[in-house]
Amino acid sequence: MQQVINWFFRTNTDSARDTAKDRMRNMLTHDRLELPAGRLESLEEELIAVVSRYFELDKDTTKFDLEHYERRASLVANFRLLRSKC
Amino acid sequence: MSGRVIVITSGKGGVGKTTASANLGVALANTGASVCLVDMDIGLRNLDILMGLENRVVYNLVDVIEERCKLRQALVKDKRLPNLSLLPAAQTRDKTAVNSDQMKVLCTELKSIFDFVLVDSPAGIESGFQNAVAGAEEAIVITTPEMSAVRDADRIIGLLEARKDEITQYRLVINRLRPNMVKNSDMMSVEDVLEILSVKLLGVVPEDEEIIISTNKGEPVSGTENVRSGLAYRNIARRIRGEDVPLMDLDALNGTWMTRLVKFFNPSVRV
Repeated sequence: MQQVINWFFRTNTDSARDTAKDRMRNMLTHDRLELPAGRLESLEEELIAVVSRYFELDKDTTKFDLEHYERRASLVANFRLLRSKC
Repeated sequence: MSGRVIVITSGKGGVGKTTASANLGVALANTGASVCLVDMDIGLRNLDILMGLENRVVYNLVDVIEERCKLRQALVKDKRLPNLSLLPAAQTRDKTAVNSDQMKVLCTELKSIFDFVLVDSPAGIESGFQNAVAGAEEAIVITTPEMSAVRDADRIIGLLEARKDEITQYRLVINRLRPNMVKNSDMMSVEDVLEILSVKLLGVVPEDEEIIISTNKGEPVSGTENVRSGLAYRNIARRIRGEDVPLMDLDALNGTWMTRLVKFFNPSVRV
């Protein structure tokens, strides 16, 4: 019975529409900034390395994202600091 | 008199630039304005076919620019709509036959005669596109809700932004939308595309087999009553003229109450 109910009210989480939207956003961010693949990831690594020289970080909650406003992207980094290193 | 020069462009080919040009030309002319359609796809002439005017082309745009004829001689008047004219592209030349300065001069002359000059741009971002936008003050960007078309539209918007001084406004037309597929989450919605591109919407045209039929007949759908894509183009024409026309309810055009009831209970089911 539960299965029948689930089927009836099934929601489409991995829909083609959502996948397209996510891929599109990512692609256009790279297009607009002329950003090569992997560049953002290497920046993230370097930033973490720099901040880690000064602070012990909670790596699990570190966030590193591009946020969009109109046709511009902002780089938003969030480091949860545990304690100073010196 | 100074008319408005509007370029119709997309980046990607096959998304409906020429169809939109023909339909908006007819729809604007039906509102009483004088309209000139300019086919800038030099070497790949098609707009004359969609207008059903292919047998009446004598001179073309390149003939005007190279002064083999007067502008008035090259304009093909639509017999059904006397205030609508077509300036055909040359079929045997290529994009290098015209440059941006010549296009600016041509557009200046055209807008002294017509209320609206609609320039049908070729696909791509090279010289053909650059020439098509050269004389324009406004742009209509056509896309479909497909990833490749949206990406190319974004590139075009970037290029139009770089011409802010000349192109004072650009708006988006989303073509070939399939409301059923959007409902089933199989396709990006109008809102999705607008959010991704951050651009103003001019209109939405649903996918419609009538477009193929009308192309074969050489009679753009916007001149026909009771065709949903035709109504969409007529609405866009009114918005171009400054009227505030709400988007049509595409959902109401789809399915019976029974299929809608099934989908209400299970949005992912295909009916």
